[in-house]
Amino acid sequence: MKQIAFIAVLAAIAIALPLVIGESPYFIGILISLLMMAALSSAWNILGGYAGQYSFGHAAYFGAGAYTTLILLTLYNLNPLLCMAMGIVVASIIALITGSIVFRLRGHYFGLASIAVAEVVRLSVLNFEFTGGAQGILLSDVVLWDLDLNSKIPFYYGMLLVLAVTLAITAYLRKSKTGYYLQAIREDQDAASSLGINISFYKNKALLISAALTSVLGSLYGLYIRFIDTSAVLDLRLSIEIILTAIIGGVGTLWGPVVGALLLVPLAEVLRSNVLGDILIKAGLVSETSGVGMFLKDNLAHAHVLVYGIITVLCILYLPKGVLGLFRRKK
Amino acid sequence: MSFLQPLISGILTGGVYALAGIGMSLVFGVMNISNFAHGDLMMLGMYLAFFSFTLLHIDPYISLVLIIPIAFMFGYMMEKVFINRVIHHPHQNQILLTVGLGLIMSNTALLAFTSDPKILTTTYSSSAFNLFGDISVSVPLLLSFLITCLITVILYLFLSKTATGMALRATSQNREAAQLMGINVAKMSAIAFGIGTALAATAGALIAPTYYIHPLAGHSFLLKAFTICVLGGLGSVVGAGVGGIIIGVVEAMSSTYLSSDWKDVIVFVIFLAVLLFRPQGLFGKKGGQ
Repeated sequence: MKQIAFIAVLAAIAIALPLVIGESPYFIGILISLLMMAALSSAWNILGGYAGQYSFGHAAYFGAGAYTTLILLTLYNLNPLLCMAMGIVVASIIALITGSIVFRLRGHYFGLASIAVAEVVRLSVLNFEFTGGAQGILLSDVVLWDLDLNSKIPFYYGMLLVLAVTLAITAYLRKSKTGYYLQAIREDQDAASSLGINISFYKNKALLISAALTSVLGSLYGLYIRFIDTSAVLDLRLSIEIILTAIIGGVGTLWGPVVGALLLVPLAEVLRSNVLGDILIKAGLVSETSGVGMFLKDNLAHAHVLVYGIITVLCILYLPKGVLGLFRRKK
Repeated sequence: MSFLQPLISGILTGGVYALAGIGMSLVFGVMNISNFAHGDLMMLGMYLAFFSFTLLHIDPYISLVLIIPIAFMFGYMMEKVFINRVIHHPHQNQILLTVGLGLIMSNTALLAFTSDPKILTTTYSSSAFNLFGDISVSVPLLLSFLITCLITVILYLFLSKTATGMALRATSQNREAAQLMGINVAKMSAIAFGIGTALAATAGALIAPTYYIHPLAGHSFLLKAFTICVLGGLGSVVGAGVGGIIIGVVEAMSSTYLSSDWKDVIVFVIFLAVLLFRPQGLFGKKGGQ
């Protein structure tokens, strides 16, 4: 009962938020990034958290969604939802190929092979011509029903919907037969196998669900930004950011990825927009024209990946179960 | 163009790749850790070579005398401070820790050295001589290859003849049994990581005169080093050596006969094919996965 009330309040806040903060595109933009990262990380969590298969190549599925959607839109001007469905098909094919190669192996191999597949996808997209190569794809105009797709609001609700669906699937899965099988595989693959669980079938199932959701998010992102290139949607950095978000929140928990996104996305935004440097300068601690001030102004914006690295290291050493694990231990 | 041309330049480049692969394989064998910071350690080696050339005016090949001990100490300390603490953790945590350390190294380099690629130009950087009439052999690549061979022989003798080397191999074969025999496995891990780091930095320094030096250069080498290790069999030092040469030749061949844009794709397809058909690698033991 308590849980349902909690979710209802959370959902009400999320739905009402754009009405409260109004039309500020800046804040809506940050909220969209937040919802997207939370949903991406939750989708990754189905495979990484519950089945224990850490994919380091989820950017491949995100990129598959984004590229398929934008290519079909620019070439044939199909309905965006249909393009999105085609994105799921492409991502599922990539997932099935990856799964069939790798899930017979264990340990280090899945992580390594997921990177290799993602790199093959990235380099192929970069080298082919119909994908726009290094220049990427620019989308001029999208029409879906009567929605005003020049505004960010539809994408806010779109991302929110996908996040809700992902969380609902996760919540359902972990109490279902499949979910218990996945957790058994994560804890002890040999024991799970000897109990008659078809290991590679269930791993593939988790990968397919995860990849499909990730590809939908990629499509939404493509439609939202209307410009994609390989460094934005297929980079290894994106895959790592997705994992990081889950780790910091708590891998293998329902809300962990959401908590991770709530912590990391605003942090990235603060670093990227150089708020920290501005505060130091305004507080008079550092003069704007001095060497240190200039250095901060020029470089702090690029430092957010460095901060991610430091957070990862600290998190693995001191908080391997994530922020949510911290609360669980106290209980 | 003659078929021998890409074969020879492939073997020469592959030698340097092999060095990076051997370092990663050694760490994997002794510690059972996939080191995702390996490429960034190579990048540090490139910068060490660059700065000892520009600031101290030492030839990049001679600067190895400085780079190897510095990198060894760096790796040894890195193992003692960070890696050592996750050695009994799940694989994923170990991987993420090294990913984090790699991000710290590459982005600190980005802040310190900016993203402008640097070029190390020695007097012999672009010199080459002709073999059998029409095959040109690049002097810096040949020097790198010869130094690689020398280092590999030294490493081989160290691993097979010295007490520390034998202890390293014992730890690699069976950590628990080695510990029961009185081998200090914690120290062996630190030494293995130190040697791995030194080999990565050496490979970086050797490749520096013929390559763009960039803070994010490690990224593509990391994936190459993994391919080499898996091709040779994770943990097999000999396999990594052969794997490096194979990857070098494959790259050179696909650049010549296909296009240089696709050479990395071919390398990763080989990686996946090895996982599909021979996951234990060319030199790994069956069931090793």
